[in-house]
Amino acid sequence: MTTISRRMLLSSIGAGGAGLVLANWLGGHELAQQPRASRNVPSFTGPGANSFWNSVGPVVNEPQKAPLILLTDRPVQLETPRHYFSSTFTPTEAFYVRWHLDGIPNAVDLKEWRLRVEGSVQKPLTLSLPDLLTKFRSVSVAAVNQCSGNSRSRLQPRVAGGQWGNGAMGNALWTGVKLRDILNAAGVKSGSVEVQFQGLDTGKGPEGFGSNKFMKSLGLDNPVLDECIVAYSMNGEQLPMLNGFPVRLVVPGFFATYWMKSLTWIRVLDKSDDNFWMKTAYRIPDTPRGTTTPEDVQTGKVKTVPINRMPVRSFLISPDGSTKIPAEFPVTLRGIAFSGAGRVTKVEVSEDGARSWRVAKLGEDFGAYSFRTWEMLWTPSRPGTYQVAVRASDEKGNTQPDEPVWNPGGYLWNRSERQEFVVGSAA
Amino acid sequence: MRIRKRVVVLILLALSTLATAALYADFQSGYYSPTGAASLAQEAPPKLSLDGTYEVGVYPIYPPIFPSGDGAQEVKAYCNTCHSARYITTQPPLPAAVWEAEVNKMANTYGASIPDDAKQKIIQYLQTHFTPETRKKY
Repeated sequence: MTTISRRMLLSSIGAGGAGLVLANWLGGHELAQQPRASRNVPSFTGPGANSFWNSVGPVVNEPQKAPLILLTDRPVQLETPRHYFSSTFTPTEAFYVRWHLDGIPNAVDLKEWRLRVEGSVQKPLTLSLPDLLTKFRSVSVAAVNQCSGNSRSRLQPRVAGGQWGNGAMGNALWTGVKLRDILNAAGVKSGSVEVQFQGLDTGKGPEGFGSNKFMKSLGLDNPVLDECIVAYSMNGEQLPMLNGFPVRLVVPGFFATYWMKSLTWIRVLDKSDDNFWMKTAYRIPDTPRGTTTPEDVQTGKVKTVPINRMPVRSFLISPDGSTKIPAEFPVTLRGIAFSGAGRVTKVEVSEDGARSWRVAKLGEDFGAYSFRTWEMLWTPSRPGTYQVAVRASDEKGNTQPDEPVWNPGGYLWNRSERQEFVVGSAA
Repeated sequence: MRIRKRVVVLILLALSTLATAALYADFQSGYYSPTGAASLAQEAPPKLSLDGTYEVGVYPIYPPIFPSGDGAQEVKAYCNTCHSARYITTQPPLPAAVWEAEVNKMANTYGASIPDDAKQKIIQYLQTHFTPETRKKY
């Protein structure tokens, strides 16, 4: 009996442990570090690439929104902090915000507001919100809305524009009316070529300039038109004013520039739209991945096309690298992936800076244009600094490359992401 | 024999108590420190009306800190027309030629009416304070 308890006692201390403890007790052992003081991000980044996951602005309150990262206050541009991307659907109150012109709606009188369908149609329509809710079939789609300039602050050399980190994106369940159903109700005249969208926002620039009105168009023969929704609901609730109340266009798979907020005019055109926002802005080099060089831009070699579908991307969301991981601890890496070309079929994770890859487990499939969550158990074997990389592939066979992108607009960034983890000693 | 065993157990118990005390000294606690970090106010829900108007009130302006000097007045007067001056301070440091091109873009592409002398002052101001060589902590 006594032998057992002695053995238990000895093993509970542990031979080595007892020695160490005794040394501590005799020698006055102290922890190596003093407590860390908290540290803020800098007020700007550059001329090098922004090394932070998000942009570096302050966190602010805006109407109907959770505290978000401020890019600009007039017009409002807000970025979603990283931790909100740990779920398939981005919380509505945390969804990023990007307006082009400073005259953005503060109030909408729904007794007066009408969605107008005009231009090259047989029967122009004026539809109230209740018309949209009751006179048309309601459909839903889970779709990622990502700003064309998401991650612009990664480009080298840096380009002017909203210096987004990775948070100018979000996924929501959008509910509304099929754009085709509305166009069919109005009757598109033969010979029509494009459909133009305009919201309630206006700018102080002169008439005829991009600084006066923001308008975007899609070709009537573009297959994406069949998937477009005039959405009145986002994750089951009305749209926040800053995200486009009362209705916005949803263009699954396409960059957000086409997703017109506070959509009020649907205009069928019998000729190609040559307004600033189609002809000059939001254009990408007509090259593989839309990449080019400052030299080729300078010499005028670059032919451009309007930006369209989003390339495949994936992100590691948690843990975020701000906490040390003990060696031999099995940690679950979690993140999201999406592609504008179709379903994400594979997410791979590398612990050695993109040399060797392991396949992660994919979460529930909410359709081709949704975020898809992924996770992977990772047990770092020994202390050190690890460059964990993540890349996704889609059903069209696209895989995220490790090469950067550069174009003067700062669009289309989709290089595989990296996260540094510090793994500490624990024994 | 029994007594010797008891002594050994007692010694080990004493050692383990000391060991526990020493182990507990291997962490830190109770450090707090004041910081200059701003806090966000918690907002109360607004009063809502039954009519057809759906409103969110005003959007807040967060004025950036701007370096003073020649051209600051012109920036304030002209750049603020269409957008807040935060569009300038949130840019990375950009080369002098890029700032010149940006100001010309505002005038020519976006139609901002800025008198020529003011335009030159704005370009110079931006080049004085916002290039990789000149940008300070603003």
